Amino acid sequence: MIAILTKYYYDILVGVGYTMLVAVIGTLVGLLIGILIGIYRTLPLPKNKFLRVLKRAGDYLLRAYIEVFRGTPMMVQAMVIFWGFALLNGGRTLNVTVSGLIIVSINTGAYMAEIVRGGIISIDKGQFEGCHAIGLTHSQTMFNVVMPQALRNILPSVTNEFIVNIKDTSVLNVIGFTELFFVAKDIVLDTFKTFETYLLAAIVYFILTFGISLLLRLVERKMDGNKNFRILGSQNLDAESFAREARSEK
Amino acid sequence: MKNNLTPDTPRAENRVQNDCRAVISVQHLGKTFGDNVVLKDIDFDVFSGDVTCIIGPSGSGKSTLLRCINLFEEPTCGKILFHGGDITQTKHPDRYRQKVGMVFQSFNLFDNLNVLSNCTLGPRKVLKMSKSDAEQLAMRNLAAVGMSAYVKAKPRQLSGGQKQRVAIARALCMSPEVLLFDEPTSALDPEMVGEVLNVMRSLAQQGLTMIIVTHEMSFAREVSTRVVFMDDGVIVEQGAPEDIFNRPSEQRTREFLARVL
Ligand SMILES: Nc1ncnc2c1ncn2[C@@H]1O[C@H](COP(=O)(O)OP(=O)(O)O)[C@@H](O)[C@H]1O
Ligand SMILES: [Mg+2]
Repeated sequence: MIAILTKYYYDILVGVGYTMLVAVIGTLVGLLIGILIGIYRTLPLPKNKFLRVLKRAGDYLLRAYIEVFRGTPMMVQAMVIFWGFALLNGGRTLNVTVSGLIIVSINTGAYMAEIVRGGIISIDKGQFEGCHAIGLTHSQTMFNVVMPQALRNILPSVTNEFIVNIKDTSVLNVIGFTELFFVAKDIVLDTFKTFETYLLAAIVYFILTFGISLLLRLVERKMDGNKNFRILGSQNLDAESFAREARSEK
Repeated sequence: MKNNLTPDTPRAENRVQNDCRAVISVQHLGKTFGDNVVLKDIDFDVFSGDVTCIIGPSGSGKSTLLRCINLFEEPTCGKILFHGGDITQTKHPDRYRQKVGMVFQSFNLFDNLNVLSNCTLGPRKVLKMSKSDAEQLAMRNLAAVGMSAYVKAKPRQLSGGQKQRVAIARALCMSPEVLLFDEPTSALDPEMVGEVLNVMRSLAQQGLTMIIVTHEMSFAREVSTRVVFMDDGVIVEQGAPEDIFNRPSEQRTREFLARVL
């Protein structure tokens, strides 16, 4: 195994690079798609009849997107999108890396949309009412109070999706994408050391996923902030110095 | 006043006069949820500086009435006039709510923000104040409710009474004309009720217009300028606190007071 590592470390690093590129960008873009869809789907129904119909139509379209991309294997989606593009463009295929990024993003977006929506609707209705009671609009409410809490709450699920993506980019080898699994297959063809090579691949995958898991746990802890707070100064400080002190300690 | 009118006095005329002065005038308000009639023909006026306490058994529609006044619920019929203009059809409930604030039984502090930011959010985003102005305003109001020392705490680090005082400070930061309270002390441990009532008492002394749903009868008797007794979705009786508490004219009011006093 050490021999494989020393001989093929460059190819393995390239594989890791592509795997992480697609996993990171796919997860981030997927999260962005999920946030936009989650916000759209939790918009209050407009009073205006026409807008209401429009909003509902949008809801159905997004439902369809979510159900289709959750309900079919990513490997099949990869083939359909990759070869569909080629068919529509007279046989010219899309760059494999770009295809991979698009496929993983769209696929992740479908899952994230439901995760984000779940995060939003699980926020206590009192948080919305507290905002509305001081005159915040729906978008101000979402931006300042609801989304920060929802995103914090869904972070474990986002970590999950991230890890799934690191592993599932391996299906992109069906369109010839050189991620880690593809590299491993190549090494096997070269060396015939099937067990050792895939064991090595497994170890590398695990290091990646475990690393991400630890990293995002750290982010969670950061978002939660201090467990304790300091009671500020004495009661006879004036308002301005209180505010200054409070700010300086953020 | 209204109670002493002879039945054939034209009510409408009397109202028109009242409306010129009333900050909030609720007129023939009705609310149904499905087939469930929760409010029927609710009529009352709130004048500047009034402290109106709404009392009544639970389930009588007090919260629903407050939520209608704050446009959290859409009335099924009737009007709510704010300085004479009907606000039930307004396109901008958020603008109206800048002037008519609300304090909830469950506090509803923003869990992701510390005490200071809870208070500055409205002034900054809604009133477009600068950060330092908003912070000074917040510090003044937090000092008024005795919560200055806790500016950096998150809501989950506070006791119930402290949360409610911060919620009051947050509402005050919008400089509302009217403040609505829905059972502000009902979720509190008994030893924390006093600190919140003290804050409200001092607001009443400063002349803030308030509508308070409460089960604290001695507080209502002491602080209110008007008491409204509700039962089963209607206003059974309203008037000065001495009259309602000492000389209730309706049997239902007497029965209720006998139970709670
Ligand atoms: N959103 C709602 N949907 C249906 N019924 C409701 C709703 N809100 C309140 N009610 C009903 O309205 C009645 C009055 O409730 P509420 O205003 O909360 O009374 P109170 O605050 O006086 O205890 C109750 O019977 C309650 O079940
Ligand atoms: Mg209630």
